[in-house]
Amino acid sequence: MEYKVEAHRIMSISLGKIYNSRVQRGGIKLHKNLLVSLVLRSARQVYLSDYYGGVCLNAQHVEAKEWELMDGDQEKLIPASEESLPSTTACDQTEAAEVPEAPQPEETDSSLAVEGPEDPCEAVEGPEDTSSTEPQAEQESSSSVDSTCDVSVPSPVVSEPQCEAKQATVSSLDCETDANLAMSAEGNSHQPPKAHSCSNRKRSAEKKASHGSPVKRTKVTSSNADEEEAEEMDTSNVSNLITIFGSSFSGLLSKDNSEPEAETDESDSGSGQICCDQMLKNLNPWNTAIVAF
Amino acid sequence: MLSPVLCSELSALEPEYTEADVISAVEFSQSGEFLATGDKGGRVVIFQREPQGEYNVYSTFQSHEPEFDYLKSLEIEEKINKIRWLPQLNSAHFLLTTNDKTIKLWKVSERDKRPEGYNLKDEEGRMKDISKITSLQVPVLRPMDLLVEASLRRVFANAHAYHINSISINSDCETYLSADDLRINLWNLDITDRSFNIVDLKPENMEELSEVITVAEFHPHHCHLMAFSSSTGTTRLCDMRSRALCDQHAKLFEEAVDPANRSFFSEIISSVSDVKFSHSGRYLLTRDYLSAKVWDLNMENKPIETYQVHDYLRSKLCTLYESDCIFDKFECAWNGTDSVIMTGAYNNFFRMFDRASRRDVTLEASREVCKRRAVLRPRRVCVGRKKRESDVSVDSLDFRKKILHTAWHPTDNIIAIAASNNLYIFQDRHSHHGHHAGHRLEQDRPPQLQDVPPQ
Repeated sequence: MEYKVEAHRIMSISLGKIYNSRVQRGGIKLHKNLLVSLVLRSARQVYLSDYYGGVCLNAQHVEAKEWELMDGDQEKLIPASEESLPSTTACDQTEAAEVPEAPQPEETDSSLAVEGPEDPCEAVEGPEDTSSTEPQAEQESSSSVDSTCDVSVPSPVVSEPQCEAKQATVSSLDCETDANLAMSAEGNSHQPPKAHSCSNRKRSAEKKASHGSPVKRTKVTSSNADEEEAEEMDTSNVSNLITIFGSSFSGLLSKDNSEPEAETDESDSGSGQICCDQMLKNLNPWNTAIVAF
Repeated sequence: MLSPVLCSELSALEPEYTEADVISAVEFSQSGEFLATGDKGGRVVIFQREPQGEYNVYSTFQSHEPEFDYLKSLEIEEKINKIRWLPQLNSAHFLLTTNDKTIKLWKVSERDKRPEGYNLKDEEGRMKDISKITSLQVPVLRPMDLLVEASLRRVFANAHAYHINSISINSDCETYLSADDLRINLWNLDITDRSFNIVDLKPENMEELSEVITVAEFHPHHCHLMAFSSSTGTTRLCDMRSRALCDQHAKLFEEAVDPANRSFFSEIISSVSDVKFSHSGRYLLTRDYLSAKVWDLNMENKPIETYQVHDYLRSKLCTLYESDCIFDKFECAWNGTDSVIMTGAYNNFFRMFDRASRRDVTLEASREVCKRRAVLRPRRVCVGRKKRESDVSVDSLDFRKKILHTAWHPTDNIIAIAASNNLYIFQDRHSHHGHHAGHRLEQDRPPQLQDVPPQ
């Protein structure tokens, strides 16, 4: 669809702007980067919303295989079922979901995950929560988180510098660096549930979602559990990407400056364009995997 | 009247100019006798109005230099973001200038006499041979060529972690505010080592950041009222009497966004780029990317007037986003009687809107069309086919030529327009009648502007 192409283009342009802002004279401009991140978020939601509408892109086999395993589960998924949802679907849908009271017919799969975005997200934030017995919505999200993390692990390492570069980019935005950013904790490979709990985090909704508009988003205030998580730099790139896209400004700041700074030097040689391409390349297989079923 | 071009010798010889010459701030003094401009190179040029009505260069000085923050490894630009004049109290003139991090108070004073006839020093300042001195003389003041000196009186530094976007002097003439992206500080003009934070939008968790402060201004008459606008399109009025930290607003001016116009860029174009109180203090003028709105301070839910500055750009937002033009911050201005508002646009166009008659005019500030003593012809931007030869099609607009900074004389119909490195000063054709011309102007026709050559 045309608007998907448009959204993709806008996303890559936005990423390029964020990347280039690092080398601009006078330091990073907070206002401009905030606006760019809002556009990036809107574009991403439009881009991903196509998958919920059943649009299938070129599936990539590598990732699709892993999803096939869960295909069986997915078939059984019906609203109010207790089957696990593929995590990325849940994550995406909670990200881009409209207010639950207006679910699309083809999104009945997602509506369940949507309806409980607040609870499962906050419940899943801490690793200890995933094992607790919870309402089915939460359980789906937690199990979905697990499965997502499996997918996220094999993501190529090459995108890592960009992620960290981006984190470094915005780390200098926060001069006082007192931000408690679970973003940096995202996708710790040995703590899978955390990775996507970060992406599930949302801010409190301020507007009603307009029906049919993919640009609207629900937000939930991030739980305190996020802030309690460890904030080491992770090695899972897709998780970083998810988190960066997850909530507009989050994912772009890192409390731990030393690591990102070191990484920044290595990634400096990359151009903004390469960064965007690689990021979107990584994004693509992840997304197509969701669509696979 | 002259339309002085800031770097006239450069632009006459070659169309290219250095980035440092681009004007970044324009401000008339409170009486209108002086006009100050700041540029990206950190220089300030002050023009003075001559008795004949033209503005000539009065003083030039380097206000800010580029700095380097070693702690954060960031370069601090020397670009002058804002200039504000203090009310004149004696023969000297004071103005505040600011870049991204530091505010400075400058004193501009004249010297036209110098003492002559020292006993111990000769004319060149060398010590005289004491044995040769036979008599005493009293030094006398003799006239000299006028010397205008700008001296730095105060430096207000290290108070802002983010980029300063505005300064505003309180009507009490003792305090002023400075605003960066997340905080607003209140200063006393005499105290440089301390400021009070009166607004703090920084969230506990920076991930939750959703808006930044874009402009802040004090009310022209009430020393306890200040307004600040944000990137979300809201403008807040704060009363400093209610509490020390004015995070809670007294009034919130916000208009509901039309859902039919939503796009990826809705948030960007709703960000307020300038806020100006009317001279009466009753109204607020806000400028966002596509429109200018007049608000009555007594009504918060919608503006009383909305003026579309260049709505034809609505379909081009994606292109403007790519070229970064969508982030341009246009300023706006009231005339002396609050009956006309003015703001800039692209292609070196600027627009004026008469509030009473609802008529508007688009004019161009460029060397080609601004012949001396010629009355500026109104321009028109057409979306489709050209109806007239003089029309400009939307696709042929030059987005590199933008008029971001405009200023209107506090009482007379004189406007200053900054177009890149050039400064244009236009005067109303009838203005030699003073105030009367102003009133007559609004009654019968849209303002006709004229630039007059130097005598």
